[in-house]
Amino acid sequence: MSTKRWVPLLAGLGIVLVLAAGPKVVSPFILQFLINLFMMAILAESWNLIAGFTGYASFGNAAFFGIGAYTTGVLLTRAGWPFALALPAGGILAMLFGVAVGMPVLRLKGQYFAIATLGIGETMREVVYNVEITGAGTGLVMPILRSPLTFFYVMLGILVAVTLVNWWVSESRFGYGLIAIREDEDAAAAMGINTPYYKTIAFALSAAFAGLAGGVYAYWITFIDPDAVFRMTTTIQMIIMAVFGGSGTVLGPLLGALVLSSVSEMLATQLATLADLFYGVIIVLVVLFMPKGLSDLIRQRVFSLKYFARNLREYRI
Amino acid sequence: MVILQARRVTKHFGGLAAVSMVDFDLREGEILGLIGPNGSGKTTLVNVITGMLPYTDGKVQFKSQTIQGLQAHEIGQLGLTRTFQVVKPFRNLTVLQNVMVGALFGARGGARDLASAHRKAEEVLEFVGLAHKAHAQAESLGVPERKRIELARALAMRPTLLFLDEVMAGLNPSEIDEAVELIKRIRDRGITLVVIEHVMKAIRKLSDRIMVLFHGEKLTEGLPDEVLNNSAVVSAYLGRRYAEQAHA
Repeated sequence: MSTKRWVPLLAGLGIVLVLAAGPKVVSPFILQFLINLFMMAILAESWNLIAGFTGYASFGNAAFFGIGAYTTGVLLTRAGWPFALALPAGGILAMLFGVAVGMPVLRLKGQYFAIATLGIGETMREVVYNVEITGAGTGLVMPILRSPLTFFYVMLGILVAVTLVNWWVSESRFGYGLIAIREDEDAAAAMGINTPYYKTIAFALSAAFAGLAGGVYAYWITFIDPDAVFRMTTTIQMIIMAVFGGSGTVLGPLLGALVLSSVSEMLATQLATLADLFYGVIIVLVVLFMPKGLSDLIRQRVFSLKYFARNLREYRI
Repeated sequence: MVILQARRVTKHFGGLAAVSMVDFDLREGEILGLIGPNGSGKTTLVNVITGMLPYTDGKVQFKSQTIQGLQAHEIGQLGLTRTFQVVKPFRNLTVLQNVMVGALFGARGGARDLASAHRKAEEVLEFVGLAHKAHAQAESLGVPERKRIELARALAMRPTLLFLDEVMAGLNPSEIDEAVELIKRIRDRGITLVVIEHVMKAIRKLSDRIMVLFHGEKLTEGLPDEVLNNSAVVSAYLGRRYAEQAHA
C-alpha cells in the first residue's frame, strides 16, 4: 500500500518535468493556452480542498482570486514591490481574508453556505469599485513583463504545490478529518474532530492558492478591473472543472481542467458563444450521468452506457 | 469510583422541558441501562452530556473534570464517546476508513498516523465481527452492520465511557443476543457503559443498574429486577390501566 501511494506522485513528477521542458518547443499561442490551463487547474484544485474534501461548496472563491490579483497588482504598481514579494503577499492576504470570512460563514451548511459565499464574491467586487488605491472602476495597469516563460513556470510551480497539498490531504490525518466533516459533521465532532478549526484551515488553504493564481494572472494579463477578476464565471468554471473531473480526488480537478479547457478553447476559436453554452450543457450532463466525475469513470473501467444508467438511478432525488 | 457525576441536568426546547433536573452517578466499569418511553428525553440527555446540545442548566463532572460547556470534540478527546440512534456512517468511505477516523481522533494519546490507525481499526473490526466487511463501502451495508460500524468507530476512539444509543433497534433476536455478548465484552475491556434500549430482555441481562426517564424527569433508579417490576415504571411504559391489571 505504501509503495502504491507513491506511484501517482512519481508519475506526476514525470509529467511536470516534460511540461517544464515543453515551452521551448511550442508556439506562443499554445504557451498562452497552457498558462491559462494551469491557472484553471490551480483554481479547480483549490476549490477541491474546501468543497471536494470538506464538503463545503463555496460559490465565492473568485473573491480570493480577485483579492490576490489586486494585492499583487497594487503592490507592483503603487508600492513598487518586486513580483517575487508581491505575489506571496497576494496569497497571504487572500488566506487571511479566507480565515476572517470563514469563521462566521463556515457555521452555515449546504445552500446557506453557498449563498453566503456567493454574496462575499459579489460584495468584494463592489468594494474594489469604490476604493481609490485599486484604481476603482478604471482598473489597474501593470508594468509589462515580456516573458511568457516566467508566467508559465510560476503557474506550473503553484499548480504542483496545490496538487501536492491535495495529495497530502488525501493521505493524512488532517485529510481524514476533513472527509469526516464532509460525510457527517455531527459524527465528526463526536469523534473528537475540532470541526471549526479544520474547516477554517481548509478554507484558508483554498483561499491562499486562489489568491496566488490571481496574483500571477494580474501580472500576466497586465490589466485588471473589478469585473475581470471578481467574476462569478470564474467560480463557476472552477466548480465545473473540479466536479467534471471528480471532486474529492487528487487528480480529478486537474483532469477536468485539462479536458474542459481544451474543448472550450477549440469551441471558442469557432464561435465564442458556443463556449458558454458548452459549460451549461456540461453541468447538466455531469450532474445527471456522472456525479462522481471523470476520474471515477476511469477508475471503474466500465466504458458502457450501464455506468451512466446506474448513476442516473442511484443519485436521482 | 465515580467516573461521571451529573447534577440537575436540564434542557428546555422553548417551553418544552425535554430533560429536567436529572441527577445520576456512574461508577467505573458498570453498565447503566437507560430506559423510558419514546420522547422521555434519553437521547436529549446524551446529546447534552456529550456536548452536542447546549445545557439549559446543570453540572456534569467526568473523571473530576467539569465538562458542561465544553464542545463535542473536546468531550470526545477526554474519552467520553457516544453512538448515534440514527446511525451516521461516513457513507462514501469503507468500513475500515470509518473506523480509522475513530482511531485517528478520539481520546488523546492515540494513533496519529495512518499506519497505526489502520492497525487499530483492523483490531477493532475483528473485535466487533466486521473484519470481513472491512473494505466494503459503508453505504452498501444494511442497518445491523451500520450499527456495528457505529460501535466500532466509538471503540476505536479508546473511550473510557461510552453511551450506546439504541444499538439494538432493528436487530432480530439472535442478533440481539450477539449484541448483548459484545457489549459485555466491551465492559470487560474496562469501558463504562450507558446503554439506551427498548429491548427489555437485553436490558435486564446487561445492566448492573437501570435508570428510568419519564417526561424528561428521572422516575426511578435501581437494580434491574426492582426497576422493571416497579408499578410506576410499568405504567409509564404501558399506561396506568395495564399496570393496575397486572397488579390486581
